Amino acid sequence: MSAIPTAAGGSSRPRSAGRSAGLGPARRLRPPRLTGWLGVVPLLAFTVVVFGLAFGTMVFGAFTTPETAPGGVHLTGANMSASVHGAYLTSLIGSVKLSAVSALIATVVGLPIAHVIVTSRFRALRRAVLAGSGVLANFGGVPLAFAFVATLGNAGVLTHRFHLLSHGWSLYGFWGLTLVYLYFLIPLMVLTLTPALEGLRRQWCEAARNNGANTFRYWAHVALPLLTPSLLGGYVLLFGSAFSAYATAAAMVGSSVPLVTMQIADALSGNVLVGQGNVALALGVDMVVVAGLVMAVQLPLQRRSARWLA
Amino acid sequence: MTDLVSDLTPLSPARTGATVEFRGLRRAFGATTALDGLDLTVEPGELVALLGPSGCGKTTALRTLAGFERPDSGEVLVDGEDITGVPAHRRDAGMVFQSYSLFPHLTALDNVAFGLRMSGIRTAERRARAAELVELVGLPHHTGHYPHQLSGGQQQRIALARALALRPRVLLLDEPLSALDAQVRLTLREEIRRIQQQLGITTLFVTHDQEEALSMADRVAVMRAGRLEQCAPPAELYERPATAFVAEFVGVMSRIPARPGADDGTVHVLGRSLPVSGRLPGTGAAGGTGDVDVLVRPEAVEVTADENGTSRITGAAFLGATSRLTVRLANGAEVAADVPTHAMTRLPVGAAVTLTLAHRPVLVDRRRASGGAGS
Amino acid sequence: MAGLSRIRYGRAFVLLLTGAYFLVPLACAVAFSIGAGTPGRSIGFGAYTGVLGAGGFTDSLTLTLKLAAATIALVLALLVPALVTVRLAAPRLRTLVEIVCMLPLVVPAVALVAGISAVLRWGPDHFAGTPVFQALAALQDQNFPFVLVLAYTLMALPLAYRTLDAGIAAIDLRMLVEAARACRAPWPRTLLQVVLPNLRGALLNTAFLTLALVLGEYTVAAILGYQPFAVWILAISGSQAQMSVAVSVMGLLVTWVLLLVVATAGRAHHPKETS
Repeated sequence: MSAIPTAAGGSSRPRSAGRSAGLGPARRLRPPRLTGWLGVVPLLAFTVVVFGLAFGTMVFGAFTTPETAPGGVHLTGANMSASVHGAYLTSLIGSVKLSAVSALIATVVGLPIAHVIVTSRFRALRRAVLAGSGVLANFGGVPLAFAFVATLGNAGVLTHRFHLLSHGWSLYGFWGLTLVYLYFLIPLMVLTLTPALEGLRRQWCEAARNNGANTFRYWAHVALPLLTPSLLGGYVLLFGSAFSAYATAAAMVGSSVPLVTMQIADALSGNVLVGQGNVALALGVDMVVVAGLVMAVQLPLQRRSARWLA
Repeated sequence: MTDLVSDLTPLSPARTGATVEFRGLRRAFGATTALDGLDLTVEPGELVALLGPSGCGKTTALRTLAGFERPDSGEVLVDGEDITGVPAHRRDAGMVFQSYSLFPHLTALDNVAFGLRMSGIRTAERRARAAELVELVGLPHHTGHYPHQLSGGQQQRIALARALALRPRVLLLDEPLSALDAQVRLTLREEIRRIQQQLGITTLFVTHDQEEALSMADRVAVMRAGRLEQCAPPAELYERPATAFVAEFVGVMSRIPARPGADDGTVHVLGRSLPVSGRLPGTGAAGGTGDVDVLVRPEAVEVTADENGTSRITGAAFLGATSRLTVRLANGAEVAADVPTHAMTRLPVGAAVTLTLAHRPVLVDRRRASGGAGS
Repeated sequence: MAGLSRIRYGRAFVLLLTGAYFLVPLACAVAFSIGAGTPGRSIGFGAYTGVLGAGGFTDSLTLTLKLAAATIALVLALLVPALVTVRLAAPRLRTLVEIVCMLPLVVPAVALVAGISAVLRWGPDHFAGTPVFQALAALQDQNFPFVLVLAYTLMALPLAYRTLDAGIAAIDLRMLVEAARACRAPWPRTLLQVVLPNLRGALLNTAFLTLALVLGEYTVAAILGYQPFAVWILAISGSQAQMSVAVSVMGLLVTWVLLLVVATAGRAHHPKETS
C-alpha cells in the first residue's frame, strides 16, 4: 500500500525540458557519453535482479506443480484455476468489493476536503494536513487499525460510551473495515488531488463567471470536467491501494470479510493444506493482473490531467 | 471585409456602447492600497487605456468593473446604473485575461460558445454565433482546435471572441498582449482596435506598455498609487502632460536644472526665462532655495555647435532618423537631446555645444536628490 | 455577501467533519491507552512508561530503525544518480526509469512476498553448497534480514521516485550544473556541493516518507517471519492491548511531527514566490 503522490508532489513535468543550449560549450559541460549512462545502471540492475527474481518465481510457481508433487515440477493450469474458484474466488470478490466501495467513498469525500485544504488561507493548516496525509497514506495499516479498535472495537471507547454493540455495530464487518480503510484512503486522495486542484487556474473560474456561470455551473462545466481525469486516476489508485492492503485486516483479528491478501498470507504460512503454496502464488498473479489493469487505466488518465493542469 | 461587417450586424444590434463611471473607488488589500479614490468616466464606444506602473491599481480597477473585486467604498456605474453590488456572472462585461484563460478541455469553438451555453441558447444557434465570432477574430480554420494546439496569439484571439460572445456593453482587456512576442503583439494590437471600432463597444484596456496605450487608445488614463493622474488623448498626454509623473512615465523627459524666476510663474533655465505651465511646485516649502528641474522632451532641446559653449556632448546613441545625444552641462547635470542624424557630423562626441529651449511654457518639478547636479 | 458567508460556513463544516473523523480515533486511542473510557480500568500512564521495559520493544524498534536507515540509503543511492543522469545526460531513458520505478505498484506487497518466499524456499535446494546459498542465508540473517531492505526498497521506489522527481523538476538542474561546471567545479564536487544541497528538501521528504513506510510495514516482515516494530505491536496486542495502542499512536504522531518539521524547514529555505 505504497502511495505515489506526496506532499511535495506537483507537476513532475520538467520546465526546462529540451532546453539544451545547442552550442558547443553546452556539450562539453555534459559528462562523457558512457559515464552518462552509468548513473541509471544500479537502479536497473537492482530492479531486474530483485524484482525480476521475485516476480519470475511467482509466475513460474503459479503455472507449475510443487516440487513435492508426484512427478515433480511440470506445467499446469490447476493453480490458476483453483485460485479463481471456491473460497479463493469469494475472497477475490470480497477484496474487489471492499476496495471498490471504500475507494468510491474516499474519492467523493476527498474532493471537498482537498479543495478546502488547497484553497485555505492558513498555510500552517495546509502543511499540517499534507504532512499528516503523507503519514496516514504511507504508514501502513497496523497502527490505524489499532486506533479504530480502541475507538470502535468491541471494547472501544465510543462503543462503550454509546452502547453501540447493542445497536448491532461491529467494526469487524464490511462497513467497519471500510471505515478503517477510509482512514488511509482519504489522505491518499487528498495527496493525489492536491496538484490537480493547484493546477486549476483562477482565470478559469473568473472567465466562467465573466461568461455568466455561477459557482455551481463553474463546477459543473469547468472544474469537474477538468478534474475528472485526476478523480478517475485517483479512484483507480485508491482501489489498487485498498486491494493490496493486508496489514489492516490482519490487525483486526476476527474480521469476517474474506480478502484475497489474507488468503495468500494464510496459504504461505501453511495455515491451510500443504501444497497450497503454489495456489498462493497463483493468487498473487491474480492480484498482479488486477493491479496491472488498474495501472493501465490510471496512466493515460494521469497524462491527460498533467496536460490540462500542469 | 465589408461583408464581414454587415454579417456582424446581428451580433451587436445596439452598436452604441455603454458609459462607464468609477466614482471614488477605494480598495485596500491588507496594508497595500490598490485604489485610493479613483474617479474616471469612459464615454460610449471609447477605448480607454489604463496605463501605469505595476501596483498602481489599474488591474484592480478593471477587476472591480468585472465584479471580481469589491470596492471598500465608492461605486461603479454602467449607463448611470450602479452595479457595485451585482455579482460577476450577472454583469454585462466581457473580459480578456492576460493569458491561459481558455478552458483547456474545450475546443476553440466551445470556448467561445461557453457563455452562450450558460445563458441557455440552443446548440445550433450558439454554434452559428460562435463560428461567426471565431471568423471575426480571424481563426475560422481553428474552431476544432484545443487551446494547447493554439499559439499564444491565437489563444488570445479566441479569448477575445469568447469575451464578445455575449454581446457585452463593455469590453475589458487585462494586459492581453503582455505574454506575446513583439511581432504578434503588433498585429493583434491593430486587430483588437479594428474589432473594437467595428462593434463600437466601450473598452477598457489595462497595460503597462505606454507605446501600446498611446497607439491604440482614444484616451489614455495614467494611474499612480491608486489614483488617476491624467486622462487625455495620446497626443495631448504627450504634448501637455499634467504632472511630472505623467511626463516621465509617458515618453522620455530631460531634466534640466533651473531657478524659479523673479515673479511667480516663470523659471530661469539655460540662460533665459520661460513661463511655467501649471504651478511651480515646492518653492515655498523647499526653504526658498528653489531647487527645481525643468522637464522637456529630448526633441525640444536644441543643440548648436558653439566653441564657446559651456556644455559638452558626452555620448551619442543612434535611433534611426534621429540620434540621442547626452550633453553634460557646466554644472554637471546630464541632459538628453534628440537631433536629426544627419546633423551628427557637426556634433561629434566631445564637442562643446550650447543648448536652447523654444519659448514655450515648460513643466517644472522639484529637483530630484539623485539629479546629480553639483551646484 | 450572503453567498460568501455561506461558502465560509461550508468550508468550516467540511473542516470540522474531517477533523472529527481523523482526530476522534486518535483521541480515543490515547484515551484507551491511558485507561480512560473503558470500564474497570484505572487511569494511568503505565502503557507509556512501561514501553521501554516491555519485552521485545527495544529489539524490534532497533531492528526497524536499522532497516529504515538501510532502506533510505539504498533508495537514495539508486534513485539520485539515476534521476540526475536522466535529466542531464540521457533524457531518452526517462520513460524507462519511470516505468521501472512504477513497476512495484503493479505487484502488491503480499504478492511480492509470495514471490520472495518462493525464491527463499527454492534457492537453497538448488544451490546448496554454493556461494549463492551463503548469500541467501546472509539475506535472511535474523539480526539484520537484508531481504527486508530489498523488499522495502522496491516498495518505496514509486513514492520516492515521485518525490525526488518533483524536487528535481522544481530546480533548473541543467542550469545549476552548467553554472557550476563553468566555474570549473569537477563533476563530483558539482554533484555533492551544488546539486544535492538544492535537493535537500526533496531528499529529506523522501527519507521521512520511506521511514514512515518502514515503520508501519507489516505484511512482508510478518509473512517472512521477522519481528520489526509493526509486527511486534500486533504480537503484544493480545496481552497488552493498551500498550499496543499507545505505541501505535506514538508512532503515527512522531512520524507526523518529523514530516511536518521537514516540510516547514523546506519552505523556509525555498520561499515560494507569491505572484
